[in-house]
Amino acid sequence: MEENITVAQAAEAVAEAVIPEKKKRKPVNQQKLQDNIWGWAFCLPLIVGTVVFVYFALVIALLLSFTNYNVNSGGIWEYLGKMFSGDKSVFDMTAESAGGVIGKEYDPFYWYRFAFSEKAWFTSDWAKTQPIYNEVGEIIGFGRTSNAMWATMFNTVFYLIGIPIGMVLSVFFAVCMSRDIKGGSVFRVLYYLPCVASTIAIVYTFRIMFTDDGVFNQILGGKVIPWLGEGNPDWGGKDPYWTQGLLSKTMIVIMSVWKGLGGTIILYVAGLSGVNASTKEAAQIDGANGWTTFWKVTMPDLYPVIFYNVVTAVIGGMQIYAEPELFFGTNVAQGYPNLMTSGFVSLIWYHGTAKSPSAYPSQGAAYGMILAVIILILTLFQFWLDSRKKD
Amino acid sequence: MENVINENNVPAEEEVHYSTFRHAVGAVLAFFGFSSKTHRASKKRAKLVGDIVTYIVLLFGAFLMVYPFWWMIAGSFANTWDSSTADLFREMVWWPSVSTWNSEMPYGGIFYNYYKLFQDGFSGGIFNPAFSYWRAVGNNLIYSIVPVVVGVITSTMAAFSFAKINWFGRDKVFLFLLAAIMVPGPSIMAAQYVLYGTWNMRNALALVVPGLFGSIMTAFFIRQFLFGLPTSIIEAAKIDGAGYPRIFFGFILPLALPAIMAQGLLSFMGCWNNYMGSFIFIDPGSQWINLPHAMYIMNNAVDGNNTAPVIAASVMCVLPVIILFACFQKMIIGSLMLTGSKE
Repeated sequence: MEENITVAQAAEAVAEAVIPEKKKRKPVNQQKLQDNIWGWAFCLPLIVGTVVFVYFALVIALLLSFTNYNVNSGGIWEYLGKMFSGDKSVFDMTAESAGGVIGKEYDPFYWYRFAFSEKAWFTSDWAKTQPIYNEVGEIIGFGRTSNAMWATMFNTVFYLIGIPIGMVLSVFFAVCMSRDIKGGSVFRVLYYLPCVASTIAIVYTFRIMFTDDGVFNQILGGKVIPWLGEGNPDWGGKDPYWTQGLLSKTMIVIMSVWKGLGGTIILYVAGLSGVNASTKEAAQIDGANGWTTFWKVTMPDLYPVIFYNVVTAVIGGMQIYAEPELFFGTNVAQGYPNLMTSGFVSLIWYHGTAKSPSAYPSQGAAYGMILAVIILILTLFQFWLDSRKKD
Repeated sequence: MENVINENNVPAEEEVHYSTFRHAVGAVLAFFGFSSKTHRASKKRAKLVGDIVTYIVLLFGAFLMVYPFWWMIAGSFANTWDSSTADLFREMVWWPSVSTWNSEMPYGGIFYNYYKLFQDGFSGGIFNPAFSYWRAVGNNLIYSIVPVVVGVITSTMAAFSFAKINWFGRDKVFLFLLAAIMVPGPSIMAAQYVLYGTWNMRNALALVVPGLFGSIMTAFFIRQFLFGLPTSIIEAAKIDGAGYPRIFFGFILPLALPAIMAQGLLSFMGCWNNYMGSFIFIDPGSQWINLPHAMYIMNNAVDGNNTAPVIAASVMCVLPVIILFACFQKMIIGSLMLTGSKE
């Protein structure tokens, strides 16, 4: 037998040795050339798009976050040119173009300190001249939280509660659907409907359903839970910041769980269909009941799907923006994101784009960099947990 | 004697003689598919009962999923134009107690909200007076068809090149592109805002141009699909003298059509519902805002309690996507399931 194999292998080796020599003339090079030309050509649009709209924008955002660029600073190219020619005026937080004195003369990390420092809103001279910012400073102040970043970050983390709730519910429904019943695909379609619906339409519907006389309170028998009552914060009260508006936040959690359930259910149904049926049967023959089979056989097989889901859900959850923003709107009186419910992205949106009285893309970019680092750390942490579990 | 009998028979007696009550309970349990010490339930019965419970649970869940949509449709027929009945709208559970079927509403009858929406829903209040509902729909169609059709083709081209062509530096470029997924969109939002302003793209172009270059996730999923296609087709075509463009348009596009369609439909839905893009990059006073953005402005413009027209607009915003999904649900769900089983 062994001799046969070696003979066959030898024959193959000979054949392999012969063929390249035949092709070593022009055709091989021509083919490689074609491969390289068309490979790059087919890829080019995607590479250009990614480099220009993601990587280039990322570099610009990083550079901007150290400067005092605002909507009155003129063209971005001259500005960056000044930065690279060693002109320190781009880091000057006392310049007129930045709207007056807001920091020191040379202060590249101003916006980062600004984001983290307490009471940043109303301590800077420039902020004091802005009536809007004074109000904001006051309403956030009083020793509860004086920092918009911590307030919105607390909201964002609160919304992450929806992830474990949604996970348990969707595994439950997925197990129900993957039973051998008729009409399973109909249920899949029905459960997926909220995922395809527009967020704004869903929010405007839920906003009325959650009013004091709305559907949810009528089921509970009258005006039981003031879901929307806490939409406008009572900043003069004595409650600390984190106890306020919990009902409003809970409502947004309910809505996002409802909206996101279908997508995860489909992933779990797909994962459950990949669970090894023979292992399951073997467990049942060995006398395991349904509960034990589920925990000892099904769940370990389902683990990769769950892990993927949790990672993507955390990344997406940290970027929550539209739901709270549409539900409670910008705080019209203050012209500022409603700090009771807004996610962290609202700050980037408000400061980075022309929605504030004098927009600082620099400030928005600094908030954006902080968000990117937080998401990166959370993702790495989850992968670290995953690797520890395998060991 | 008694001791002996007891000693011998205690275990047996306890197994055999259950009280009548326990027999009854066991019989009832067996009827519902649970085995007990007195009665053994048949497997068929257990499955039947399990199926019934599953159906009840799933139907309840499906009801929760569908009810808000029903509420939306019913609410779009409510009469909130009369401020005295506007409060009744919020108390609606199944059907508005005061619908627009009203002699005072001159046109449209029960569809009065839709009539107003199509006529002047988007051009009142602080809105641009020249703006209409149909303009918003037209904009939305442009934003969701042009970038998606072109973008899916460019993504497929990249996927084809990654999956089936051997070129220098392919894997490194792929990793380089895949790493871009890690960059959160909002982080670079401010820089994009500045850049688009510099490039004079803060109008319709902001929502069209970036999509034309394709998306990495779409390319990634189509690449996974293309790995399943046999390479021998391409080899055969090459031997017959076909170049790569011909192979791509003649073989790959038709063969990968299911995956391409599913990805295209998913990104169409994403673009149709894209609220953030228009909200950031397009000026609210401009003609180029999309449908969700127009709905946001309409909601702010309608006076206080008259929210039924907003719900009518919501129905009209959701309806096209739902119809599209209903038509292609097999394709879309199949593609999503493929994603789930691959992970």
